[in-house]
Amino acid sequence: MRNGILAELWKNRAYYLMGLPGMALIFVFAYLPYPGMIIAFKNFNPLKGIFGSPWSGIENFKFFLTNGDFLRITFNTIWINVNQIVWGTILAVMFALMLNEIRNRTMKKWFQSILFLPYFFSFVIVGKLVLLIFKNDHGLANELIHYFHGDAVEWYTQPQYWVKIIVSTSIWKNIGYSVIIYLATITGIDEEMLEAASLDGASRLQKIRYILIPNLIPTIIILTLLSIGRIFFGDFALIYAIVQEYGALFPTTDVIDTYIYRALINGGQEYGMITAVGLCQAVLGFIVVAGSNWAVKRHDKDNSLF
Amino acid sequence: MGCETSRQRQLIILGREASALKERRKQSSGLMDFMIYAVFIGFSLITLIPFILAIIVSVSDENSVVLNGYQFIPQKFSLSAYAVVFQDGIVLNAYRITLIVTVLGTFISLVFSSMLGYMMSVQKVRFGKQIAFFTFIPIVFSAGLVPWYLVVTNILHLKNTIWALILPIAINPFNVFLLRNYFKTIPPSLSESAEIDGAGPWYTFFKIITPLSGPILATIGLFASLSYWNDFTMSLWLIDDRKLFSVQYLLYRINSMISYMSQHANMSTTSLPSETIVFAMFLIAIGPIILVYPYVQKYFVKGIMIGSIKG
Repeated sequence: MRNGILAELWKNRAYYLMGLPGMALIFVFAYLPYPGMIIAFKNFNPLKGIFGSPWSGIENFKFFLTNGDFLRITFNTIWINVNQIVWGTILAVMFALMLNEIRNRTMKKWFQSILFLPYFFSFVIVGKLVLLIFKNDHGLANELIHYFHGDAVEWYTQPQYWVKIIVSTSIWKNIGYSVIIYLATITGIDEEMLEAASLDGASRLQKIRYILIPNLIPTIIILTLLSIGRIFFGDFALIYAIVQEYGALFPTTDVIDTYIYRALINGGQEYGMITAVGLCQAVLGFIVVAGSNWAVKRHDKDNSLF
Repeated sequence: MGCETSRQRQLIILGREASALKERRKQSSGLMDFMIYAVFIGFSLITLIPFILAIIVSVSDENSVVLNGYQFIPQKFSLSAYAVVFQDGIVLNAYRITLIVTVLGTFISLVFSSMLGYMMSVQKVRFGKQIAFFTFIPIVFSAGLVPWYLVVTNILHLKNTIWALILPIAINPFNVFLLRNYFKTIPPSLSESAEIDGAGPWYTFFKIITPLSGPILATIGLFASLSYWNDFTMSLWLIDDRKLFSVQYLLYRINSMISYMSQHANMSTTSLPSETIVFAMFLIAIGPIILVYPYVQKYFVKGIMIGSIKG
């Protein structure tokens, strides 16, 4: 058997050699860190290293679970994601349907381009645009409020607005991506079915209601299940670029990923605790991914992740 | 014969009814079109207005911005912000770093990903399935930031090197699978006949397979260059050497400095770059993306569509 493996490796050595650089990168950046996860069960001391540090059992988890942060950041992560999934799906489907109704091809192309444009903006640029709108002095939002004689809002000290702001920004940035997928599904719908419906006197709205939307349901379910698989993972780059270090906004916007990063840069004393947070996240995330993948598979075998 | 004419008559009647129905509905249809256009024009304005404002501020005179805030019609036009930015060593250097990282990163990412994908796609390679599994695991289970950070800094010693900006994000498993799926659609008879003619796997891959895979390689390459150009997280985690700041990270640092100072009102703001300069940098960071967007958009659309079929 051993010989068989070696013989195969030798026989197709050129192919394995081709795959080697890519595999090496995956190994180094994804697999090499796995053993480090035991820091979660240790009282980590950088001087003694990962393996030399004393064991601490589940102390790190206990500390983390009882200090209240866990509930807050897990809730924030899920809450922001749920809002993104629900509103993102509703709006993307609506935009795809509306785009499909535009008969003027030039306009259709132009609108689709604009819709997809924010996807290309970096998170830093997005953060800067959000700042431009919500700055306390001379921000566009406050200028607008001023114009209608309202009272200016100090946005960056009011955490209650920011889940909405983050969710809207994220949808604005990513809607073009999902619209492309939904539009592709719509284009794939049998033309004859739509023509037959018109012949029977179906209005545009009726066609949308009885033909287009039912045909979109499988795509909606799959995209939703795939995003549910990521529900324990906050969009670090987006949230960190927007919220930065505005401490007043942390109560509603601090998600697991930003919490871990902040704990990491604020001093290495808590390595064990942060790793424990990461481990909880990875395990919960894995369970949810496996669950949602099982659901996708039941629904449509071709679209499952694995 | 008689049957035929009665069917035709029926169709004519149906057609008349339909056109009458259409007539009645034209009004509501017009309203619907109007609403659809309104929504899209609204979205376009939300996307474009902050953007246009950023352009205008960047070409305004600094003093008038300080006095009057942002204005859509600048009181005084000035290109001095751009003059400052393009003479500034730090900014130019950041631009250089971003270019190197994008070009080198895209090259490495494209070559390594496609070779790995190709290996998995070749049927006679017996461990293709196992290697696909190996590639897949990190998508669903990651070790987390701390263990990753310790490996990258303590074992690989990548901190404050240019490779920290390139290697960690070079292989995206999703792209590898997209490439594998594409290579699988190329008939194996092609490479088999090449091999009979004496071509080795390397020759077959680079001279026969890749020329047939132009569109998918362009798509994956563009996805890779976009993520290299836009990335700031690797810099955030692994770079504090000024010489290695990328454009995005430099802009991020300036933003966070401004936010820090605005929270500590008593600090002096004189050491900060002025608003016009920040916006000039903003446009430098995003300008190339906007310029190439019309030409590359279709490749991204194609890539998303392929990816959504088998994701």
